[in-house]
Amino acid sequence: MNRSTVIDAHNVSKVYNPDTIPVYAVNNVHLHLERGEFTALVGPSGSGKTTLLNLIGGLDRPDSGEIIINGVDITKLSDNQLIDFRLHNIGFVFQSFNLIPVLTAKENVEMIMHLQRLSKGDRDTRVGQLFDEIQLSDKLNSRPSELSGGQQQRVAVARALASKPQFVLADEPTANLDTKSAFNLLDIMLKLNQEENITFLFSTHDQRVIERARRVITLVDGKIASDTAPVNVATTT
Amino acid sequence: MIVLMSWRNIWRNKARSVVIMISIMLGLFAGISILSLYKGMIHSKVRTVIDRESGHIQIHHPKFKDDYLPEFTITDSQAVAKTLQIPNVYAATQRVVTSGMITTTTGSAGVNIYGIDPESEKAISKLDEKIIEGNYFNTSTRNPIVIGKKLATKMKLKLKSKIVLTFMDSTNTMVAAAYRVVAIYESENAPFDERTVYTTKSNLNNLLNIGDKFHEIAVILNHDEDLDAVTAELKSKFPDLLVETWKQVSPETELMVSTTDQYSYIILIIIMLALAFGIINTMLMAILERTREIGMLVALGMNKLKLFTLILSETLFLTFAGTPLAILLSYVLITYFNNNGLDLSGFGEDMMKEFGFQNLIYPEFPWDKISGLTAIVSVTAILSGLLPAMKALRLKPTEALRK
Repeated sequence: MNRSTVIDAHNVSKVYNPDTIPVYAVNNVHLHLERGEFTALVGPSGSGKTTLLNLIGGLDRPDSGEIIINGVDITKLSDNQLIDFRLHNIGFVFQSFNLIPVLTAKENVEMIMHLQRLSKGDRDTRVGQLFDEIQLSDKLNSRPSELSGGQQQRVAVARALASKPQFVLADEPTANLDTKSAFNLLDIMLKLNQEENITFLFSTHDQRVIERARRVITLVDGKIASDTAPVNVATTT
Repeated sequence: MIVLMSWRNIWRNKARSVVIMISIMLGLFAGISILSLYKGMIHSKVRTVIDRESGHIQIHHPKFKDDYLPEFTITDSQAVAKTLQIPNVYAATQRVVTSGMITTTTGSAGVNIYGIDPESEKAISKLDEKIIEGNYFNTSTRNPIVIGKKLATKMKLKLKSKIVLTFMDSTNTMVAAAYRVVAIYESENAPFDERTVYTTKSNLNNLLNIGDKFHEIAVILNHDEDLDAVTAELKSKFPDLLVETWKQVSPETELMVSTTDQYSYIILIIIMLALAFGIINTMLMAILERTREIGMLVALGMNKLKLFTLILSETLFLTFAGTPLAILLSYVLITYFNNNGLDLSGFGEDMMKEFGFQNLIYPEFPWDKISGLTAIVSVTAILSGLLPAMKALRLKPTEALRK
């Protein structure tokens, strides 16, 4: 495996109802992502985008195949090891933001670092950096209910990056946002991708997002139907 | 952070949390009140037994209590004087005791007959203070007798009524003597009043044919705490006699003291068990409402221990939030009734007396049981939190996130 490889998935399949009427949500997929990629996973509803993201994110287990993240085959990890692996290696951004309503924006981001047992000083420094990057330094102490949808999703991105993950998985991150908020979020994600070499893999139906992705993988019926070549992928040594 | 989240989570649905907190508060308040009431009742009962019936300590011939035969007397005429020499002994009296039959024109009944020294008895059983009709042996009546109100009512006796007492003397000869009721007493123990009559020691001595001897020494101490020390000293002073504390003289009272705590805790556990279902229901609802959020936390990397801690902390907060208020509320109320008394005669004037309790109870705040109470509440909270926590732990992140 190349040193810059972040995700290497081979022959990954996920079958629902294997004993009755088998439905291949993901069917023998091979996927290779290098550090710094900004990749969109597209396809019609039911094509297996979310299932594939869940498998790569270690939220679900494949029925066959192997998924190697940063050199670790996550299909062989126990549940507890997988939780710990996710905490330190993968950032998640969900379609409906999923911020914790009883915590402030700062606390939502800080929580991940709490789980990682970072010191208060490290947490404060990282929170400051992240809120500068998402341009919400004035909303640190706001509750999610006091933020707009776009602002909440930016906080969710900050939370995904709080643990300094290997890559960020985003499931339809702009689906619930208006055009302005969606572009604003995309700008931030691209900036993080270009300036900090953060790898993004996101599922989307949104043409605005697809146009700005530098690699587009199309899934149809659980299989990769097309995979455009990556453009200007940043390299790391 | 976990504790902060737990605390804030319980206020997400204020109405639901407040309802469960109030129910826990009321349950605990009821439990503490029952503990206090029982403590007050038992204290009152013990005081009645010590101060109005048996005294702290009694001394008998070792065989006397086997069959209450008159010949088993205390022969040391100086025994009372020797007892009074012991430090911390407040008062002591000698009694002649036998059992017999009281007969009137309306019927007959078995009674315990006490021959007492009227003066020294005042300091022991305070019989003079319990007289409700007549005079306490201040009479020239030849064979005076003081009977209890319950017996008087049952046998339709009044002051100056004539009765006949029949009993065996020390030579096993049946003796019968006519007595005149000179006073009627009423204590806090109706069954005691029904079966106990008093005459003078000299009178009963003559009829029992035991000279100047007696059967019982009753002792009152300055302080309850001196009981064991004085008992030990009396045992060494009278090695041939049977020295017993009130706990041995009145084992039913001692049993009541030792078992009341257990009954109180059982009642409290039943109350908390009922409340536990409310807590479980509330927490299950909270888990159900936050399924997606819990799935998200697990997805982001919250491990099972931290998730368990989160749910359990919420249960603990929910359970303990009402506890200080319950303790404070019950303390205020119990202190009031401790000062003013709680009159239970409304439940039936004679009901309490039938069980040997006073109508006016002074509840005592059970400080000694607060740790036990806290333990019961803690166990309730932990047990109530287990099921919701297990339910949360079983959630699969992918399924939970779809909710």
